[in-house]
Amino acid sequence: MKKEYQTFVRQFKDLKEGRQELFIKDLTPGPQKYDTKQVMAEISSHPEKMTDGDILRIRSESGILLPQVWGIKILKELPESVPGQPWEDVFKAMGKS
Amino acid sequence: MPFRDHRDFIETLKKTGDVIEVTKEVDWDLEAGAISRRVYEMGGPSIWFKKIKDYPEGFTLYNGSQGTWRRVAISLGLPPETPVREIYRVYEERLEKPIDPVIVDEKKAPCKENVLLGNHVDLYRFPAPMIHEGDGGRYIGSWDLVVTKEPETSWTNWGMYRFMIHNKRWLAGWPQPTSQLAHQMKKYYLPRNEPMPAALVIGTDPLAHMVATAPVRLGEDEARVTGSLREKPIELVKCETCDLLVPAHSEIVIEGEIPTDRIVPDGPFGEYPGYRSGTMAEGVGFRVKAITFRNNPILTMIALGVPIDDSSIAASLTAGIAMKMGLKHRGIPVVDVYVPPEGVTHLIFVSVNKGGTQVTQEVLNYFTARRVMVSKVIVLDDDIDVFDSGQVLHAFATKCHPGRGMLVEHYEGRANSLTPCYSPKERARLKGASVAFDATWPPEWPEEVVPVKASFKTIYSKEIQEKVTKNWKSYGFK
Repeated sequence: MKKEYQTFVRQFKDLKEGRQELFIKDLTPGPQKYDTKQVMAEISSHPEKMTDGDILRIRSESGILLPQVWGIKILKELPESVPGQPWEDVFKAMGKS
Repeated sequence: MPFRDHRDFIETLKKTGDVIEVTKEVDWDLEAGAISRRVYEMGGPSIWFKKIKDYPEGFTLYNGSQGTWRRVAISLGLPPETPVREIYRVYEERLEKPIDPVIVDEKKAPCKENVLLGNHVDLYRFPAPMIHEGDGGRYIGSWDLVVTKEPETSWTNWGMYRFMIHNKRWLAGWPQPTSQLAHQMKKYYLPRNEPMPAALVIGTDPLAHMVATAPVRLGEDEARVTGSLREKPIELVKCETCDLLVPAHSEIVIEGEIPTDRIVPDGPFGEYPGYRSGTMAEGVGFRVKAITFRNNPILTMIALGVPIDDSSIAASLTAGIAMKMGLKHRGIPVVDVYVPPEGVTHLIFVSVNKGGTQVTQEVLNYFTARRVMVSKVIVLDDDIDVFDSGQVLHAFATKCHPGRGMLVEHYEGRANSLTPCYSPKERARLKGASVAFDATWPPEWPEEVVPVKASFKTIYSKEIQEKVTKNWKSYGFK
């Protein structure tokens, strides 16, 4: 059974295939649903080709859900936060870490 | 007698018919939010969800403490049917007598009935709701108040800011970058690179939450303001892990610190203007160090969205009075200010006893002087009852000159990025504009050319009015 995760991007066009640092939310039902982790992961717009991967759902900065699901393979868990100052853009801060 | 806590308040709402207890099991994941939202849109009561999926008995959710003017009146100790104008008057009058809080021993503080420290801290012990589909997370802090302090002056700020669960021991939130919390952070903690102690308070005296929405002046303690509204001191108790003081009768207190060098993503969230807009991943992190809570804790929430809800009602009152006081302070001949809840603090009605372009410009200057939360102001003569939107619309439609009646101010670095009509670029740069509509008669017009309002009370003589009212029943009217 594949696990399901969710991530947010500002715009769908920001999505890039391949190895990425991402904050993902675990969609497994139960009291810890939506728990967030920062991971290094491989993501693909062709989940059917990622046979050993899980499902990644993607939402925009307005919370709009991309109709297509992506595939995700978690390679490594990263720290729960990123270096940065309050009100700094987290996406830009991730790029710097 | 003021309410000691949310429990007292809910008990009173039971008697007045302003709360419904839902005993059927409800899912914290969207179901509680959807029910609450629907009830707002039907003008219904507050809701106490008594059985939450995945959570033990006694861990409950409560939505909508200030979602109607009735509930605001009750929280102020007034009869439920009190008219809005009278609620405004009482609120303004009580503000004149601030009352200092009192500090109580932790043995007298119900919020200390349970204490989680260190490795025992786990935010998932509480049924934090996933309020809207597409939100960035579970907003445990939606109808809350966040306590922070300036280290040098000891000025303590209470603000209502959104905070969601990031993981077991971290919250992510978005106090606006122009908020008072941000002011304290930027002035004291960022330059020293020291984490800012903070406490997120859930479920306390309903007036304390309302005051947390108020644009209280920098340096003024909301605890004193709450005392003035309660007409009695609010009881505070010291936190477990820092010297912040929090309301002793709170349901849940989450203690921690906002680091200056680490961040986590917040949002998006269906916010008070009535939209889930693009303010995301530009907030603050909150490292949790302790959680204290009452037995059978009640987690207060708001399924924010299109008005009318708790936020639009509370802000109508708190912002309206603060604006009136601010305008008076600037010497503007203000008579009344009303913040219609439907306008979600983006639209303000101001009546003045002397209108014209200059006064309208001064009103606009007041609203755009510092952080700007308001984008549209209608300035009216004082024969208009600002609490009557029909009268305001009529005056706006007929008295505001379409060419010279609109005064616009542009600014950058202090706009309200939650204004839905701003583009992503404008939101990122806090760039925006405000407009004041002059719906007053120009004071330079000779009296004999000013159009006469054709209403019963203004276009007929006293004699005719008295004759008609005296004979009213004889015409066949009831």
